[in-house]
Amino acid sequence: MRFSDEVLMAYVDRELDAPTRAAVEAAMAEDPELARRIAAERALRERLRAAFDPLLDEPVPAYLLQLARTAEQRSAHTPAPLARARTGRSMWREGLALAASLLVGVLFGHWVLRGAGLGPVVTRAGQMVARGPLAQALTGQLAANQSATAAVRIGISFRSNAGQYCRTFSLRAPRLAGLACRAGGQWQVQVLTRAEGPAAAAGHYREAASSMPPAVVAAVSAEISGSPLDARAEAAARRRGWVP
Amino acid sequence: MSASDGNLRDQIIELLPRLRRFARTLARNPHDADDLVQIAIERALAHAAQLRADGSVAAWLYGIVRNAWIDEHRSRRRRESLGDAVPAAENVGDPAAGSPEELLCVQDALERLADEQRLAVSLVLIEGLSYKEAAAVMNVPIGTLTSRLARARETLQSLLSDAAGEPL
Repeated sequence: MRFSDEVLMAYVDRELDAPTRAAVEAAMAEDPELARRIAAERALRERLRAAFDPLLDEPVPAYLLQLARTAEQRSAHTPAPLARARTGRSMWREGLALAASLLVGVLFGHWVLRGAGLGPVVTRAGQMVARGPLAQALTGQLAANQSATAAVRIGISFRSNAGQYCRTFSLRAPRLAGLACRAGGQWQVQVLTRAEGPAAAAGHYREAASSMPPAVVAAVSAEISGSPLDARAEAAARRRGWVP
Repeated sequence: MSASDGNLRDQIIELLPRLRRFARTLARNPHDADDLVQIAIERALAHAAQLRADGSVAAWLYGIVRNAWIDEHRSRRRRESLGDAVPAAENVGDPAAGSPEELLCVQDALERLADEQRLAVSLVLIEGLSYKEAAAVMNVPIGTLTSRLARARETLQSLLSDAAGEPL
């Protein structure tokens, strides 16, 4: 029996009635090509879900909860004022996000400096700045070709809303991850946090490094403007010394 | 499910994580996505009387988020149409399931779909609505929804297998 793509799709989406569903399953058992097509559809669906599902665990911002509790509820014929200036709130929110990231930075900065000697960062005028191998990697290392055993691993690079170049990184020891943005000729560390996960063996380092801690993810989400740089744009930015 | 006052607020609050995820399939920037959710909360409460007593609150709210996105998206595209063609970003790094890089990669692919295809994918494949529910949110017949969904899947299969489908 031949099945159209739409029937296979409906099978994966659990939209078929029981007899058709059974017919597809019987045919799948006999026909490896059919089974392969269904597996590909299923994999796509699972991949999309896996990418977006972690967002369900993000805490809902307090102002949205507050709005749902308190915004005026109207009956059908009362005109509602829908247009509102959102600029003020956005600025307030960005300020709060910045304050939160600074706080995380300061706390972990102290932890790093106390716990691991001088560490990968120094604090200058209240701002954490990358130093030593971390600073060198941020300036010179490309995500596209870095050694699996490098002490610093670069994640993604992107332009921030303020126009600066920013890069995520993770350190092998101490196990830390963070986000740094280039400003004033130095790498200002926006977030530095303990990297989760088991101590990585060399072979597993790449995978371990690609799951960023939530504080880093939140900072990237708040800062990123557009898409991450691709390999070519990353190399071009390095040539220009990370000057926009 | 009636739209009596306290009840509707509770239902909105309970649905907020899903509405935020849905908005993130439409707007990549989390602030833009939350702006859509904010508009949807305001509109939902302001137009609570329009919720039919027998209607699903979730489907109704998805529809409001969708409409807010279409409004914002169209006006934004007009603003941006003079400028930059967004480069097709191939993400560097090592996308692993659930990682932010993987999310950006999938969002990139979704952005390249036609709006109505993207909505179909979001509602059915990510939010898990039935064809019937998704068609109602999009205000189209089921056949229109499924043909959009089929075309979108075909495009996504080729975009995502090229970009980062290699196993680690």
